[in-house]
Amino acid sequence: MTNTARPSPIAWLIAPAGLLFVLFFVMPFAVMTAMSFYSGNPVTNPNAFLTTRHYERFILDTAGIFHEALWSTLRIGLVTTIVSLLIGYPLAHWMARMQSRLGHALVLMAVIAPMLTGIVVRTFAWMTILQDKGVINTTLIQWGLIEKPLPLMYNEFGTIVALVHIYVPFMVLTLTGVIGRIDERLEQAARSLGAGRLRAFVEVTLPLSLPGILAGSLLVFALSISAYVTPSLMGGTNVLTLPMLIAQQVGTSFNPNFAGALGVILLLVSLAIVVAYNRILARLSGEQGMA
Amino acid sequence: MSVARNRRPFDAGRAAYLALNALLLAFLLLPIVIVLVFALNPTPYISFPPVGVSLRWFEKFFTSAEFMNALWLSLWVATVVLVLSIVIGAACALALARGNLPGRAVLTAFFMSPLMVPAILTGLALFQAYLLSGIGRPVWGLIAAHTLVAVPYVIRTTLAVLHNFDRRIEEAAAVLGASPTRVFFEVTLPLIRPGVFAGGVFAFIVSFDQFPVSLFLVVPKGETLPVVLFNYMKFDLDGAIAAASMVSILLALSVVLVLERLIGLKAYVKL
Repeated sequence: MTNTARPSPIAWLIAPAGLLFVLFFVMPFAVMTAMSFYSGNPVTNPNAFLTTRHYERFILDTAGIFHEALWSTLRIGLVTTIVSLLIGYPLAHWMARMQSRLGHALVLMAVIAPMLTGIVVRTFAWMTILQDKGVINTTLIQWGLIEKPLPLMYNEFGTIVALVHIYVPFMVLTLTGVIGRIDERLEQAARSLGAGRLRAFVEVTLPLSLPGILAGSLLVFALSISAYVTPSLMGGTNVLTLPMLIAQQVGTSFNPNFAGALGVILLLVSLAIVVAYNRILARLSGEQGMA
Repeated sequence: MSVARNRRPFDAGRAAYLALNALLLAFLLLPIVIVLVFALNPTPYISFPPVGVSLRWFEKFFTSAEFMNALWLSLWVATVVLVLSIVIGAACALALARGNLPGRAVLTAFFMSPLMVPAILTGLALFQAYLLSGIGRPVWGLIAAHTLVAVPYVIRTTLAVLHNFDRRIEEAAAVLGASPTRVFFEVTLPLIRPGVFAGGVFAFIVSFDQFPVSLFLVVPKGETLPVVLFNYMKFDLDGAIAAASMVSILLALSVVLVLERLIGLKAYVKL
């Protein structure tokens, strides 16, 4: 590998993306952070002053809702991630090891099809399935299995079911890539040395796919803690997450400054998770490189 | 690469494995099928089981000015975003992979970060920035926002292709006397095309189905389709939503099929 120190002319191709990111990513987040420390809009309101009161409001939480919102955001994110992993892994394994090209393409289509369906549409689908007069409750009542509709929606359960459905394809696609790169002969070697199929999987393939598991989990967690549509439609008034709180502050309370503070808090939480996972990921792939 | 496999007459473990996967596929696909059923069901509200077949909800969708304006706006925005993000993203990926830039890993992580930052916060931050700078909520502001979250997909798929292909092909072309420009246009560009287009598919869909980034950036009467659907669903849960859903699924699917014709779906999994 040649290592010339000077950037080549091709490096200039980074300029458009750099400009886009500075103007529409770095600066807006700087503005949001600044806004969270102001009492009002510093451009239009000359009396706006610097303050930490928005953060104090969140930390003191006199109304008793903010901490619960943060906690339920993390709880929903965690459960969604775990369930997505349990559902996504078998599918990814199946896809990665499929011999038939046609079969592979069909399963791939089936996994991607929900991704092509917007979040709003998929949430709608789950509303028609889980609501009181929805597919599941109507069917169960008709079969005489239950008398009153089960509370499948307007709670965390319904929120998590819909979130899992929405984010599981991300898990599958991340895992398929990683599992596909694991040499199948390693597992075959373990089996020819006498390990059962399950043992060969648990002791060979599973550990080798850990980077994929972590990367997929990171992705799904980051996506589900920032979800807004699904918790607000599936959770109704019984679920309040941080993104819902932020939208309330912008939309109904029109308090962009407090919304900014909530935004900074959510940002810090998700960045902490991203950094932690990246560390683990780097360490794992480092170990694999050594082995 | 053929692996000799000894097939047994019945394999319970394998059967359970296949059954589990079939179940999981059903979980993924059934909700979409159910949406189709409700789109064709003529009852005034969502009810199960369906009682018949009618196109009244599609008629309602296609004759509603509100839905149609939103649909055209979404299509237009997504198309512009597709073009912008392909150009910006592919250029950026080339610079990252071939530009000998210092701190390449950090730069790559930086350009991926819109995928890591909660999308609703990107929307909120842009809303605050537009508010403070007094530019209001113009359509180009929405397009810029969508492009920002779409570009990482193009960068990622293009980088994947760039890392996979053999640099010696480029070197061979150079050794045989091609100028760097010629190598770029005749060797590098054709080779990265599948990655760029695969990223383009993602970019279109990310924009067309975009909700969280759009939420704070659209104006009343100038809302994109997902925002209109969301607002409608808060009050009404009738077949019009199902019909709208079917239309957007079919649109997204046709984009994929067109691009699949051009590049092959395989490019997706090589992420």
